[in-house]
Parts: sequence; structure tokens; C-alpha cells
Amino acid sequence: MTTIQVHLQVNDCPYTVSTSASRTLLEVLREDLGLTGVKDACGGEGECGACTVIMDGSPVNSCLVLIGQAEGSRIETIEGLAKYDQPHPIQRAFVEVGAVQCGYCTPGAILASKALLEKNLDPSDDEIREALAGNLCRCTGYSKMLTAVHLAAEVMNHGD
Amino acid sequence: MHDFEYYQPKSNDELTAVLDRTGGRLVAGGTDVLPRMRRGQLTDACLIDISRLADLRYIRQVDGQLEFGALTTYAELIASPLIQQEAAALAQAAATVGCPQTRYRGTVGGNLANASPAADSAPPLLTLDADVHLFSAKTARAVPLRDFFVGPGKTCLEAGEYIHHVTTMRPSGKWGAAFYKLGKRSGMAISIASVAAYLELGADGRLRAARLAFGSVAPCPVRGSHAEEVLLGKVPSLQLFEQAGRASLADIAPIGDVRASFEYRVHVVPVLAQRVLMTAWQQSEKRSA
Repeated sequence: MTTIQVHLQVNDCPYTVSTSASRTLLEVLREDLGLTGVKDACGGEGECGACTVIMDGSPVNSCLVLIGQAEGSRIETIEGLAKYDQPHPIQRAFVEVGAVQCGYCTPGAILASKALLEKNLDPSDDEIREALAGNLCRCTGYSKMLTAVHLAAEVMNHGD
Repeated sequence: MHDFEYYQPKSNDELTAVLDRTGGRLVAGGTDVLPRMRRGQLTDACLIDISRLADLRYIRQVDGQLEFGALTTYAELIASPLIQQEAAALAQAAATVGCPQTRYRGTVGGNLANASPAADSAPPLLTLDADVHLFSAKTARAVPLRDFFVGPGKTCLEAGEYIHHVTTMRPSGKWGAAFYKLGKRSGMAISIASVAAYLELGADGRLRAARLAFGSVAPCPVRGSHAEEVLLGKVPSLQLFEQAGRASLADIAPIGDVRASFEYRVHVVPVLAQRVLMTAWQQSEKRSA
């Protein structure tokens, strides 16, 4: 076993973690940093997207990132989205539209949506579907998520 | 996941030294290696993480060739104007891989080293006559991609070697290229069959270059040599492409598996071949010589 020291910037806070190199970013975020909004649904296969975080600006499955691969990176999780107790416009839109049911896929879906909207504030239906293709949801049927992302884009463009 | 020794080399020299000493498994984007480790299919005692070797991540043109580093991600291929313009089918194939999360991490070098018969990047690269450049501590050699794959999950990589970069020819004249992946759905699907085509029209209106390649229908991604023979030197037409599609059955050796039956693959390959050839032809007609 190899123990390594890793420096992470998570939700704008610096962390130094000393841990086994055989662990994933997902495990460290949940178990060491207590960020349990990062979900594990498919058991580390990279199939479901529930563990999606934004790493240096791109959405990634944190279950497929070895902790050593995250050295020096900037990580955003769902816990970092709300500012001063104000939910992020995407979070508000998901609630308003009802794009949540069991809630398990929601953090990952919101982060994948955020990664999309940071690059494209006027996405088409197809672009949203593509951005969420790696985030499995078995409750909502996606149509409400689609509406929510459009609504969030509108708010982020024009304010509310 | 099981415990392993972990190395993160910072240079090619460090990499070859660790590789020679440990014989460890290379991991780049982790999108193939990690799920397989988790399932217990890989039990390597030593993992060499090359994801931070910055000089294996680039796309450029050199001496009439395209060249990209082994760590180039699918997302980088899709976003590259050079790849979009000159390796259009590769950009299309990269866009069909997994989902955004996979495309930001997964690398071309990993896709090739993994040697899945379904590797999405392989058919377009085969139609671009790609060479895989393998480096070790003492040697550097270029292997044509069609010889690189040896069997399902097997490559000609020898102990101590790693994929450094890939080169391809650059298209010229009135050319067209296309890729089609047939899967059960568009997101996160492993292909049932995939086809790439590259065509060049001569001044006489005949095909002066014609290359086809297939994924998921043989033990390795394969070139469509029989189909290409039908096409070369002929004036393109729907009938010719139908004929080439039928000839491609001699190029493939499909099996039935969880994704589709043998019969279905045999039915669908000529159809897909014809479809990508039509698309490539239409593109070549539009391009000025």
C-alpha cells in the first residue's frame, strides 16, 4: 500500500489529505471531508453519474478519479453551490419545476448542468440531454430536468 | 478496491524506469482500469498513474501528418479545430464515447491500449492509416494501428513499452469522412457495430482512395480490405456502395453477445457501411479539389 499526501481545493477551501493511494476522490470527499452530497449509486463503475463533481471546470465521475490524480485540483461539490444560504439558480430551478423525486441523482445532475451552463448559457434541448446523458435518473423521466435547466439558464442570463 | 503500490511519474524517463522496475499497470483517465479493478478483473499489485505527464497531451501537425499525445482526452479531440477539420470522423467518434464525464477523463491512448473490439476511436484511426508510437527506456517504434491490435484486450505492446503518441495521415483533395456508431441508446452505450469511412475523389471522378473500418464485429477493430477493393478506382454510386457493403462481410467475423446477435450484426454492417460511404461521398463532392 502507498500512502500519499494530496492537496485539494474543495468548494474554495484548501485541504491536505494523507491517505491510501488506492482510494478514489469519491471516497475521500465522502468519508474524509464529510461531503455526502457526492453520491455513490453504481458502486464505482462510472455508469450512473451520481458522484459527479466539477474538477478544474469539467464534470467528472469522482468514483473514477484516483485520489492521487486529483492533486492540486479545484473541486466543486453540491455543498459549495449555495452562497450565503441562497441556493444556486440551478438548485432553485430544480425545486421550482419539481425536477427531483428520490433525490439521489440530483446533486450529480445539478453539477453536470452547472458545467454545461458555465460554457453555454443558451443550451438547446439536445445540448442539455447530451450534458445529462451520464446522469442516470429513474424517477423524473428527465423532462422536468430539461425544463429546470432552461429556467436556470434564463435566470442566470437575466437575473430574476 | 484492492490495495496497490502507486507511482506517479513526472517525466517519460521516470515512467520508463518505474515501468521497467515494477511492470505495473498504466492508468490514465481511469475510465476502463478503475471499473475493472473494482470488479476484480484487474488485480495488479502496482499502478503507474501517467495522468499527469503533461507532454503526452497535445494535438499538432507535423510534416504532413496529424500527431496527438496518448493522453489527449476525447473532449480535447472534439474541441480541437484541427481534428474537426482534418480528422472529422475521429471527432465524431470521440463525441459518441460514454458521456461528458467519460470524455473529460478518457484518453485515446487508453482506448487503444485497452484494445476493446468496440473501441470507438479505432475505426476512424484505421481509416486514417494511423501509426501508434511505442516508447520504452531504450527503444521507440511505430506500429501501424492495424497491427497493434492482436486480439480482444490484447496489443503488441511489450514489457516496458507504453503508447507515447499517435500519428495519422492528413486528408487531401476532394475528401470526405464519416463515422457511425450503432448502440442501444446514445448515452453510455457500447457499440453493437461501428463503421468509419474515408474517401478521396480524383479529378476523373473516380475514387482514388477508399478506406473503411469496423468496430465490434471482429476480435479487433478491422479494416474493410475487401470492401475497399470494390471501391478503389470506381465512380461512386449507391449501387457501388451496396456492393462494397456486401463485400465487407468478408472483412468481419462477428459474434453474438449481450448487445446483439450474430445475425443482426451481419445484417446491419452492410447497411451501415453503405450509409457512411454515402455521407463521405456527399462531403467529398462539396469540397473543392
